[in-house]
Amino acid sequence: MKLSELDFYMDWPVSIEVKNLRKYLISNLIKKGDLIRWSIIDIQNSNDFYGTKKLRIKAVFANL
Amino acid sequence: MEISPTIFIVPTGIGCEVGGFAGDALPTAKLLASASGCLITHPNVMNGGNLSEKDERIFYVEGYSLDRFARGEIGLKSVKQNKIGIIFDSDIEHQLFLRHLQVADACVATLGINVASYIRTKKPLGIVLDYNSSNVSGGLIEHPDVLIEAGKGLIDNGATAIAVVANFPNDSDLKQTNNYREGKGVDPIAGVEAVISHLISKYLKVPCAHAPALNPIELNEKLDPRAASEEIGYTFLPSVLIGLSNAPNLVELNNANQMVSVHPDQLESIVVPDGALGGEAVLACVERGLNIICVKNQNILNVSNKLLNYPNFIKVNNYLEAAGTILSFKKGINLKSIRRPLNSIKNVGFDA
Repeated sequence: MKLSELDFYMDWPVSIEVKNLRKYLISNLIKKGDLIRWSIIDIQNSNDFYGTKKLRIKAVFANL
Repeated sequence: MEISPTIFIVPTGIGCEVGGFAGDALPTAKLLASASGCLITHPNVMNGGNLSEKDERIFYVEGYSLDRFARGEIGLKSVKQNKIGIIFDSDIEHQLFLRHLQVADACVATLGINVASYIRTKKPLGIVLDYNSSNVSGGLIEHPDVLIEAGKGLIDNGATAIAVVANFPNDSDLKQTNNYREGKGVDPIAGVEAVISHLISKYLKVPCAHAPALNPIELNEKLDPRAASEEIGYTFLPSVLIGLSNAPNLVELNNANQMVSVHPDQLESIVVPDGALGGEAVLACVERGLNIICVKNQNILNVSNKLLNYPNFIKVNNYLEAAGTILSFKKGINLKSIRRPLNSIKNVGFDA
């Protein structure tokens, strides 16, 4: 097992309600590896036409 | 007995004014436990180096398992006493290792804790600190497999809870460490500590907590009282052993025959610092429509409700107000009835 720590941005589309945000993020994060630790460390409006928000995520993955 | 089960989180490694140091949120945890009658919190809140306390209303649950509880995957079952096994990083130098063994013996002799066994890892865990990529404390270990293997060895020998003592490099940034000791910065090792305990929780599913092994550093005359509990002795192990001694069993909820003391469906609220709403436990509570009690507690993050727009959100100025809010939930008192101005009830009829 090898661990890696990533710090990256993800879009939060306006179509995803806040109550579904966790599942939306997890469904994307697990594509990168086995999740050990993660959180949103910043959130910003991206000022696009659709009202998308930008999330900064810090996460540790185990790539088995 | 009336209770209002509540999760209390002070995220690790983000420099919270209350709880960002060495067990300095413990008095707050006791207050919130008094209000709720049942508080689920994590080691970072309760561990003050050599100082900690037990409270039958407080459930000591490692962060990864706490997230699983918030997601509704596990229940918590009270135990009278765990059999604790300790994993020691093989990189810990001999004298410091002996100090830790003596501390464990002291906890058995003086506190009546059941520390049953220990194991040394087959090779060093290989701590890698990271506090450069963002201001949030981070990092990882190079050899997670040896950690898991050691944990399995303890469980095979009857351990029901695991303490981990990892060796932290002496060349870690002294300026950053002193900033933390003087109450001005983020705990530089907190992120790696969380990774270590999350690995045990995720792969071995037992209560777990971590204490760093650090060689003594020079006296700092400007020490902040919030960091002072880490200056008391040679190790940070006692608080971990006290916390784990009766940390609840983690019960998988697909095991229908197991009784639990706290079921996640009983959960009513989560208390979290303002700006730190981006953790999984908070988002899981949002998913379930629970009360988010957001407390003004200065930290380096800015993930607030301004952009999340969660409706069931209660912002308070301090933990005293948070305790009052929980108490009002417990007693079924409408918060609006306490606050002013008090508006008339709305007409939602057909002609409104």
